[in-house]
Amino acid sequence: MATIEQTGTEVAEAPPASPAPAHGHDDHGGHGSSAMLTNTKLAMWLFLASDCLFFGAFISAYLLYRGRPQTGPTPKELFDIPFTSATSFILLMSSLAMVLALAAIQRGDHRRFRLWTLATALFGATFIAGQIYEFTHFYREGLKINTNLFGSTFYVLTGFHGAHVALGILWLLSLWGMSMQGRLGTEKSESVEIAGLYWHFVDVVWIVIFTVIYLMPQPGK
Amino acid sequence: MSEGTVKVLEEEMSAVAHAEMGGVLQAAPGLLPGEIDSHPTPFKYVMIFLILVVVTAIEIATSYLEGSVTSGVIVGLLLFFAIIKFALVASYFMHLKTDQPIFRRFFVLGICAAVVLYSIVLTTLHVF
Repeated sequence: MATIEQTGTEVAEAPPASPAPAHGHDDHGGHGSSAMLTNTKLAMWLFLASDCLFFGAFISAYLLYRGRPQTGPTPKELFDIPFTSATSFILLMSSLAMVLALAAIQRGDHRRFRLWTLATALFGATFIAGQIYEFTHFYREGLKINTNLFGSTFYVLTGFHGAHVALGILWLLSLWGMSMQGRLGTEKSESVEIAGLYWHFVDVVWIVIFTVIYLMPQPGK
Repeated sequence: MSEGTVKVLEEEMSAVAHAEMGGVLQAAPGLLPGEIDSHPTPFKYVMIFLILVVVTAIEIATSYLEGSVTSGVIVGLLLFFAIIKFALVASYFMHLKTDQPIFRRFFVLGICAAVVLYSIVLTTLHVF
């Protein structure tokens, strides 16, 4: 047992430590860290953790005001569950397309990567189109953002989610463009993985929104 | 503290971090940085997707039981299915199952912080 003379503490003998990789650009296109965890991936996970709090605030606001007496259209009158189920299914398909895109670029199949990335963006755009149709329908039925508490909380929550999806689509299209120009090689697949993390998070948030907002029984029914 | 002692302490801390991070200081062959196991195959991704579709269908069917089943039961079932879908997407599509534990810890920390904070807020405001 090695001892530290000064403190007198006995510690287990440390195994021969491998030299830690130097900080800086690693072969995978991101800045390295001492345990081969890239800082970019860690940063994305930290961002997603903070985004949980972001969406949690709006979901809580919806739950807080749900069922309160109010004028104007109510969820029961407006929601079209079969339609929203279809858009939810489309978003799920986009998640599948995203992981298949990542798998493709990791094995060096750039053609399939572009195909699946475009499919993911297309599914996402279809979802957004569904949201726009829904918002337009609700607006025509008399639900504006300032009509009642339901309108405010619903539009803000789903609007922010839609904005996240829209940003994700732009991100995916930029990756597709980079791949077309030959600027996205297999060594940069982590960039795709990070975009995938963001996309799947957006899907996961919709899973919660769909359940809490659309499917849960309305109070007082 | 002497230089030698500082060096020993640094090596031991590095060894602890080495063990804490799943024993990976360099990515094993075939793995990307941050991975401790290889990602699922495309076939597995499709299987997970099909499970998600089935669970979603069951969720939607459950929501239509309103009126014939107590609301509390429906809410419980819907939350249960949502958690299953959440866990499947996070574990397999977001690779939390095959990546370094630190990513899972950060994400779970965020989720727990959100759930605890907003549960306190909603309870204080008599929603529950």
